[in-house]
Amino acid sequence: MTTGTQGWHADPELLASYLAGDLDAITGASVEQHVSRCETCRTAVSHMLEPQLVERTWAGIRDAVERPPLPVPIRLARRLGLPEPTAVLLAAAASLRGAWLVGAFLSLSFATLAAYVSGGTALAPFLLVAPLAPVLGVAVAYGPRQDPLEALVATAPFGRTRLILLRTIAVLVSVLPVTALLGLALPGPRWLAAAWLGPALALVPVLLALAGFVGPRVAAAVVLLVWSSVVVASTRGGLDPAWPVEAAQQGVYLALAVAAGAVIAVRLGIDRQRGVAL
Amino acid sequence: MSVPRSTVELSGVGKRYGRKHALADVDLAFDHGVTGLLGPNGAGKTTLLRIVATSIAADSGQVRLLGRDPHGSHADATAVRRELGYLPQELGYPSDMTAFGFVEYIAVLKEWNDREHRVQEVRRVLDLVDLTDQATVRVSRLSGGQRRRVGLAQALLGNPRLLVLDEPTTGLDPAQRADLRRTLSTLGHRSTVLLSTHQTDDVAALCERVVVLAGGTVHFDGAVTDLVATAVGRVWLADEPGDDVMVSWRTGTGRYHVVGGTPPAGADPAEPTLEDAYLLMLGPDAQRIRAPA
Repeated sequence: MTTGTQGWHADPELLASYLAGDLDAITGASVEQHVSRCETCRTAVSHMLEPQLVERTWAGIRDAVERPPLPVPIRLARRLGLPEPTAVLLAAAASLRGAWLVGAFLSLSFATLAAYVSGGTALAPFLLVAPLAPVLGVAVAYGPRQDPLEALVATAPFGRTRLILLRTIAVLVSVLPVTALLGLALPGPRWLAAAWLGPALALVPVLLALAGFVGPRVAAAVVLLVWSSVVVASTRGGLDPAWPVEAAQQGVYLALAVAAGAVIAVRLGIDRQRGVAL
Repeated sequence: MSVPRSTVELSGVGKRYGRKHALADVDLAFDHGVTGLLGPNGAGKTTLLRIVATSIAADSGQVRLLGRDPHGSHADATAVRRELGYLPQELGYPSDMTAFGFVEYIAVLKEWNDREHRVQEVRRVLDLVDLTDQATVRVSRLSGGQRRRVGLAQALLGNPRLLVLDEPTTGLDPAQRADLRRTLSTLGHRSTVLLSTHQTDDVAALCERVVVLAGGTVHFDGAVTDLVATAVGRVWLADEPGDDVMVSWRTGTGRYHVVGGTPPAGADPAEPTLEDAYLLMLGPDAQRIRAPA
């Protein structure tokens, strides 16, 4: 067989072996080259193929090319049973992509390392970062309030509020376990590993409640500033490094979370623009 | 009520931004067919379309879409939105999404939960706007007109019964306009299509009915031919621009197209276009020629 020879055509046995994948690499590549240029042989090949198989293969190729691959964390979640439509919605949120999660993980790791190396005296970085990581993740996933795409999201039957809550949960699910594991590495009492959860779980609803009024960016900035002030003030004031997460303060966070939840619930109830309470 | 309800019913609808009245006491009803909203900037077109698209609520008056109050209950809002296609005037696209990815994302928000059906539907609407070949291109790399068509594609998902298009023809070339016309005229048989535009050409080509809005109120509501008829006898071709005319401009033949006012000496009556009628409607004597309801 010599490719490029005019008038030469591959015989049916050769084509059959090619289709069955029985040819050696060089002969197979030569046949493929020839078929791609020779209409007669292409027609011969098409008659030897099962139309459904071709259809299926083409659909598969088209699917793979057309549909963007899901980010790794979301593919992982799919394996764990996340419904496919939900995966598409979550994949569109920047903070649920690999890069953001890696960033959050790294900053948390450094904060944990600082606490560990200092033997528990430099607890501030961890207490600063751990509750803020989910807050910032939620703010980024929220999408800007004035984003023109929001007009579409708000008028879709799925609803903007539902989308934001879905993404919030997804951010919490992806950030909290990592933070909890890192918290276990903290020196000091065991309860410290979970104590940061209080402010973290309070600041997220506070962010959502605020964002409903001033948009997620301003809300995130306010939350960030307030929480940083609490942590820094406790350090400067010579208080115990764990002061921001001690029992009395946890009560305050709980009250804040309840208040924020109430604000959201009231807005959901009275808002005239259905589906855009947040 | 014995009278069958229209798809879109607005009665006494008003909307204010601060002290400015974007819409004042608007009464309109729309059914099957394509209706064009014409009006200068700030006339209230976008506000009206946003209200019909359930994106904002009216401050006063009654809005009923598909027989429901879109801000009455969650169930009503969702029911309306299931039948709604909306192309906002400005649409932002996440920078890293492809055309296909974007439309698919919106399709999920529109509850196309079955993967296979959804993919087929996304392909169908991308094909309708002639973007099949650009399906895998990132939206940020598409031209302005192509992006507009991506926006249009998502609005067409599921052949909605109520289609609200805010300036759909921006950035489209003549061939694409013709395609849009075909698509909309097919949809207009069973759907209510409302679109806004600055261009009278679009209305003449796309719409059976036209609503002229100015200063937040309805100045005309009727068939396109009826709007044109309001200009009969008020358009001329003349050798000079004229002194006491509403507007005139030099045409390719060297003569002046004169609209409204007193025609210059020797002017010949001319066949009015939709643009002439529209200009007359917005002109100083718009009040006098206001069409009967």
